[in-house]
Formats: sequence, C-alpha cells, structure tokens
Amino acid sequence: MGRGYLIRKVLHAFATLFFVVAFNFVLFRVMPGDPISLLTRSERLTPADVAELQAEYGLDQPLPAQFVNYLGDTLSGNFGVSLRSGLPVSTLVGERVWPTFLLVGIGTVLATVLGVLIGIKGGWNRGSRFDTRTLYGSMVLYSMPEGWLGMLLLITFAGTLGWFPAGGFDTGEETGFAAVIDIANHLFLPVLTLTLGYIGEYAIIMRSSLLDTVNEDYITTARAKGVPDRLVRRRHAVPNAFLPTFTLIFLSFGYVLGGAIVIEVVFSWPGLGQLTYDAINQLDYPVIQAIFLLTSAMVIAFNLAADLTYGLLDPRVRHA
Amino acid sequence: MRRTFGNAALAGVLLLLGLAPVALAQTGEETAPTEDEVVLRVGTILDLSNDNPWGVVGGYDWGVATTQYDMLLQFSDEDLSPAPGLAEGCEPNEDRTKWTCMLREGLKWSDGTPLTSEDVAFTFRFAIDNSISVYRSYFPFNPTFETPDDRTLVWKTEQPTFAPDLPPWVYIVPEHVWKEYDGADKKEIKSAPNTPSVASGPFTLTEWERGQGWTMERNPYFWGPEPVVDRIEFRVFDNQEAMVQALKNGEIDIADALQPSVFRTLEGEEDIATQKVISDWWLNLAFNFGGQSKDADPHPALHDRTVRKAIAMAIDKQEIVDKVYLGLANPGDTIVREASTYWHLDIPADQEYPYDPDAANAMLDEAGYLDTDGDGVREDPESGRPFELLMPASDETTGAVEAGQLIVGYLDAIGMQVELQPSSDGKMDDYWGSGDFDMYIWYWSGDPDPNYQLWVFASGQCGSWSDGCYSNPDYDDLYYAQTSIFDREERREVVFEAQEFIYRDLPGVVLAYPSWLEAYRTDRFTGWTPVPGENGYLLPTYNYNSLLTVQPVAGAAEASSPGLPAWIWIAGVAVIGIVVWRVATRGRRERDLEA
Repeated sequence: MGRGYLIRKVLHAFATLFFVVAFNFVLFRVMPGDPISLLTRSERLTPADVAELQAEYGLDQPLPAQFVNYLGDTLSGNFGVSLRSGLPVSTLVGERVWPTFLLVGIGTVLATVLGVLIGIKGGWNRGSRFDTRTLYGSMVLYSMPEGWLGMLLLITFAGTLGWFPAGGFDTGEETGFAAVIDIANHLFLPVLTLTLGYIGEYAIIMRSSLLDTVNEDYITTARAKGVPDRLVRRRHAVPNAFLPTFTLIFLSFGYVLGGAIVIEVVFSWPGLGQLTYDAINQLDYPVIQAIFLLTSAMVIAFNLAADLTYGLLDPRVRHA
Repeated sequence: MRRTFGNAALAGVLLLLGLAPVALAQTGEETAPTEDEVVLRVGTILDLSNDNPWGVVGGYDWGVATTQYDMLLQFSDEDLSPAPGLAEGCEPNEDRTKWTCMLREGLKWSDGTPLTSEDVAFTFRFAIDNSISVYRSYFPFNPTFETPDDRTLVWKTEQPTFAPDLPPWVYIVPEHVWKEYDGADKKEIKSAPNTPSVASGPFTLTEWERGQGWTMERNPYFWGPEPVVDRIEFRVFDNQEAMVQALKNGEIDIADALQPSVFRTLEGEEDIATQKVISDWWLNLAFNFGGQSKDADPHPALHDRTVRKAIAMAIDKQEIVDKVYLGLANPGDTIVREASTYWHLDIPADQEYPYDPDAANAMLDEAGYLDTDGDGVREDPESGRPFELLMPASDETTGAVEAGQLIVGYLDAIGMQVELQPSSDGKMDDYWGSGDFDMYIWYWSGDPDPNYQLWVFASGQCGSWSDGCYSNPDYDDLYYAQTSIFDREERREVVFEAQEFIYRDLPGVVLAYPSWLEAYRTDRFTGWTPVPGENGYLLPTYNYNSLLTVQPVAGAAEASSPGLPAWIWIAGVAVIGIVVWRVATRGRRERDLEA
C-alpha cells in the first residue's frame, strides 16, 4: 500500500475528529435552555449563587475562552463533571461501556454473520423459495421500528410467557457461573431485538452485491471450466461480492459504542444509550458532549480502519 | 480468502463464548442474599442521581435519604404533623426564641458510634455555613445551636419562630464522617461518595450501580423496632411497560411512580393491589403580571381580576382530571396540597367558580373586552391588543402539556387565542426568568407545613419564588400573620383565610391534584403503613415507618428472575458451535473427498 495513501487517510481522519470536537462544543452551547438554571431550578438561588455556579462551571467566560479550556480538558481526558450528579463524566461514561459493548457487540456480530449467510444463499439461488421469503422477511424486519419490535418481544416473552426478565443487566444477586447465566438471560431479548433489526440490512446488501457479481465474466469462465457450483460461489463470487458488505460491517462496528439508545431504554439496559437518553432529558451537557465525542471518534476510527483494510483486500484501490 | 469466511465465523462464535469468563470477571464482588434473608424488591422509574444528603437533586435521591437518615423530628404517619424522631420532643420558651430538644437515649450510628446532640448541631451548622440552599428555608432568623449535654440541643433565634417544630426537613448526618467536608468547595461536598453510608435509619445504602439500581441493608444499630425485611433491592426501569411486566411476572414486589395509563391496566389483576396516593403536588396555571425583565410584556388585561375569573370559569377541571389523568386526580382548588390534610382548605362545591363558559363570555362582554374585528379573538379596549396569549407548559411535569392542549380549546371558546409551548424545565426557567410569557403551566410541591407554599405568593418573591410576580398587600398581611401564631388551631384559621384569598384573587388557577401511583403484589408482602393516612405512600417518602411494619406474606414465594436455566444455554451454545464448526470445515472435507 502506498505510503501516500496511508498518510492521506490518517490525516483526513484526524481533521475530521478535530472538526467533530469543535462542532460538539458549539452545538451544545447554542442549544436552548441554560444548564445552570436547570441544575438549580429546585433551589431558586440568589443571583450571587448563580454567578458563583457559573464561575465554577466556567460558563461565565467568553465563548472562545471556554472553547480553549474545553480543548485542553478534552485532550487530557478531563470531561468535567455531570451537571446533575456532580460525579466525574469519565467515571459515568466508563462504567457504561461494558454493558453496551456486550449488547451491541454480540448483536452486531450475530446480525452480520447470519445476515451475510442468508444474503449469500438467497442471492445465489435467486428466485428460489428461500430467496423470496428471506428477501421479504429482511425488508419487513429492517423497516420495523426497533423500539416497537423490542416492546413486542418484551410484552410477549417477558410478560405473557414470562420466559425472560423484563429488563436490567442482571439481578445482582448471583455469583460465579450463575451470574453469567443470569446476564445471558437478561441479554437475550435485547440482543434478539438488535439482531432482528439489523439482520435485514446485511442480508439485502450481500444479496444484491452477489447478484452483481454473478454476471461477471470470470464467473462464467469458472462455470465453463466445470468448477462445482459451491466452489464457484465460495472462491470467486463471494470474495468479490463481499467488499461493499465489508465496508458496511466496519462502519456498523464504529457505531457499537454509540449504543442502541432505543433498545437500551426499552429493556432498561444500563449502557451508553441509556446514559445518552437520560443526559439529553436532563440537559446534562458534559455527559452528552463526552458520549457524542466518543461515538464520533469510534466511527472515524473504524472508517479509517475500513479504508486501510479495504486497500489490503482490493488491489485496485491500493494502486489507484 | 478461501477459508477466511468460515474461519471468521468460527472466530466470531469463539469470541462470543470467550466473553463468558470476561463477563464473569466483570460482575465483581456483588453480595448475594443468604438463604434466610428477607428481601424486598422495589421497581421504580426514578433513578438515584446522588447518594449523599447534601446533593439531593431529584429522582429517588429523597427517597433514599429519607430511608437511611433520621430528622430531628419525624412527620407523623396520620397527618405529617411533628412526631418524635431522634428527639423525643422540642419545647419552646415563652417567646419562642429558644427551643430545647431532648434526644432519645442510647442512639447510635450504623458503625456503632454514639449519636449525640453534637451531631445534630453539626448538621445544622454545616447546612448553614456551607450554604446548602435546599435546606436554607428551615433556618430563619440566624439560629445558633448549643449542646449542654449529649442528649440536649438548644436552638436559639433572634426572633420568635416555630422553625424547629415544622419539623425541619434536614437529614441528620454523623459529624465524624462529614467533618472533613466542612468548608470545602460545594462541588466537592455534593459529589462526596456516600456508598456505603453511615446513617441512623433502619436501612443504609450499601451498593449503588448507576443506571441499574441500588441495595439497602438493615442497620443493626437502628434505635427503633427491628424491621422484618433484611434487605431492599431497588431496580430502575427506563419505561413503564417493562416495570409493569416485571411486577406481573414476579421479578419485583412493588412498583413505584406509575403513570395513569399503565396503572389502569393493573387494576383488577390477580394478586396485585394498587394504591392511589393522596396528592402532594398540584398542577398550576400561573398568570404573569410582569416586571421580571425588559422582555416581560404580558397581556395587560391579565391585571383585571374579571379576566382571570373568566379564564378560570372557562376551564373544565373535571375534564382535565378525566382525560389527562384518567380520573386518577382530584380537581384543584386551593394552593395548599391535599396531602397536608390538616392545613388544606377544601372549598365547598357550591362556593367554587363553576365551569361555565357562557357566563365567562358574558362577563368579558360586559367588561368591554369585545371582538371588534370579527376574527374570533377579543381585544383589550384600552391597548387594542388582541387576546393572543403565549402559554409555555412543562413537558417534564406529568399531564402539563396535555392539560395545556385542553386549555387552548377552552379559551378559544371564550375568544382567546392561546399558543401552547411545550418546554423542558430548563426552558421553563428561562421563561420564568425573563417574564416573556402570558401564563404558564407548571407545578408546585413543597413541605407538609404550608408556610413555604403561602410564602411563594407574597410580594417580594418576584425573581425568587414567584411565578408571575403577583403582589397584593392584603395577602401579605395574612401570610405574615400566620408566621407568628403558635397555636395550631388559631394558625389554621388564618391559613384557611389565606387560601381562600388566593382562590378568589386568582394569581393563577390550581388545575388538579394528581395522585401518585404505586402497585404491589399482595401475595408477597403485607403490612404496609401508608403515610399520610389511609391513602398515603407505601414506600418511604415522608418517613420510613412503612419499612418497619412490612413483612412477607406467610408461605409467599420469593421474587425471582425468570430466564432459561443454565443447561439450555450450554446446550444451545454447544449446538451452535457444532453447526458453525461443520460449516467452516466443510471446505476441507470436500477437498479431501476430491483428492
């Protein structure tokens, strides 16, 4: 891979990240609703108290000065304290990473693996019963609102049938291996919702790129050579068809830490999505800022990774 | 690339399996209940945002603090009047500038340290010296505190007061824990970690998992009767439906903070009882009289009581109760909340302003507020200004926006065009501060004692607590009169007069008294003590006494979390593993065949 390509991509990523950092700052200062009055609405402070609080949170300085402070803090990993609870934002965010990673990580892996497999099988046997059914199924699932699907599963499996818990990460009362099973039981419905919600996307894209590939000359050649159908698919069609899906998968992993906000709220899952939802409701700017920054950084990082590895996979891009 | 995909899939599954031990490592040292422990499981929508009594913000903060800390005097179970707490009683001197409180004997903190009057004095001084604003109103007239001995606290003020007897809603904290924070930066005080805590109440906070829930365990040194419950697990739910399902399938024993719609679905369910708690807040429509800032330009006609009365008569409060709260509320009248049963004035139905839009229209016509240009909207004859009113409504207050939508319709029927503006509480604060509105819908809550609620309407509260800068010297006289009457019954007469005055003078309209809604499983726990009175809170809100009397129903099943048993999981993972392995190695097997 050319060094120029590498350097260009990395610089581009950093520039994007800086833009996001700056935009993050401006966006939240421009939003209506003053965080100080929200923080203190139940307290009715004197103007002197308000001034003191503003100084404390650095909100009394002119915007450019606030921005410089913000940059410095961000670079040193200090994301301030929550306006609501007064606890450090890095702590609040840090303790939510694992539940979200677990939920969205597993869900995304399942959705990609299963979706791709379904897409391959459907695309290769286009028009077959399997293909028609899975295509329509994928479209229905993909267009279904996640929150609604989640509620439906919650009411059916946790409510009416009572097979799974109605929410939460665990009961907090088990230890050892029983704790793992406990978490697995709590994880089942949210992961199911997430997987069903995204499986359609991968299936449809994999299927359509496979359909494009099928008409290429080299496929015809392989068939003419007498290569068994399964091998044509596995060695020639799929690897080439896989590239667009590959990009999509990488980008999806970038969103993993953004958390599936809707699903986390439906299932009371204590991850970043839930934290985002609460923070937005409470106008807890430092928390919102930190999460958005984290999510953006992840997306940019995975975008970069996708660009770089794409070059590894597809020689045409590398030598462009 | 040949075997890459199969290998990738295999790797994916192994990754999932590999997460199991990692998950194990992450669960940490959570303590599990022992076999014989009685565990109460509570579900709530409100999260705990701060575990320390100086940083109580909202959500469940107050509930936790009320459960684990004592106050000088408690709110009584029947009607929230002062009852013995840490102190057996507080006696005033003749002119009520000096109150002497006697603490119980043998009080201890949950770490075994003796609890003395020094702790109480320290707590009060801490609140004052460190300007903890949420407790400020309980210490008028520059009080000083003396502790002649371990059990005696003397509260002295410059002027006569009944402040110690309110009782002050201040949680008594241990000096030996909080001493080091005295004089510290307020941010540091409010973010001081307090889990596990040292407290004097029946349960202390022992674990807190943000976003998930918290655990409270029985305090062996508690001075009162020993509760049957050994530990309480609180679970936070992000949506009502999930919490209701958890109650129905037995994951939790009691659900808190329910919304009217889901509450209605629980009524009549087997083994579930519902509790409609007497309201301690009210939905408020406040008029703006201007004067907050240069942006304050409310409609001048609002200064005319006739206009305000017409608006009040055009609003169908019963319909608001029925449609917005599904009947789980009472129509509003006076400003002191219903839960303060001793002080709340209930105006007899025949003396209230009736819902009568025709009469309202007639009143406005007669007063000269006519629709001169025929556009359906009346104008003010003096300024020519049409009745186009801006009405922000808090979207964080249950029912405020929905009630606002109904009110837009009601006022349209009397020739006023209202623009409803749903706003977050932060935005509501902006409106309040600038005065850039005509009327708004928000709420009032407050103390069991009516003093604070009445104070809000006094002149001079503009820019402090007042909604719309209402000011009437006759009302002020009534308010200040009741602050210096120490005979309870005598004072009540004046408090009633003050409420009647506000009802007639209309600085706003009390729209409704919405009930708080709880539901619990009757097959799990019994013996709840509702506070105040029969229709009170089952969960600790004003005091923790319900937790002292609640006990498991004989032969009850314990709350359990549904889920697939371990063997199904292991079998399922094994099956998936085998399938993936076969798919992944198919290529190799086929090539072996071809060879």
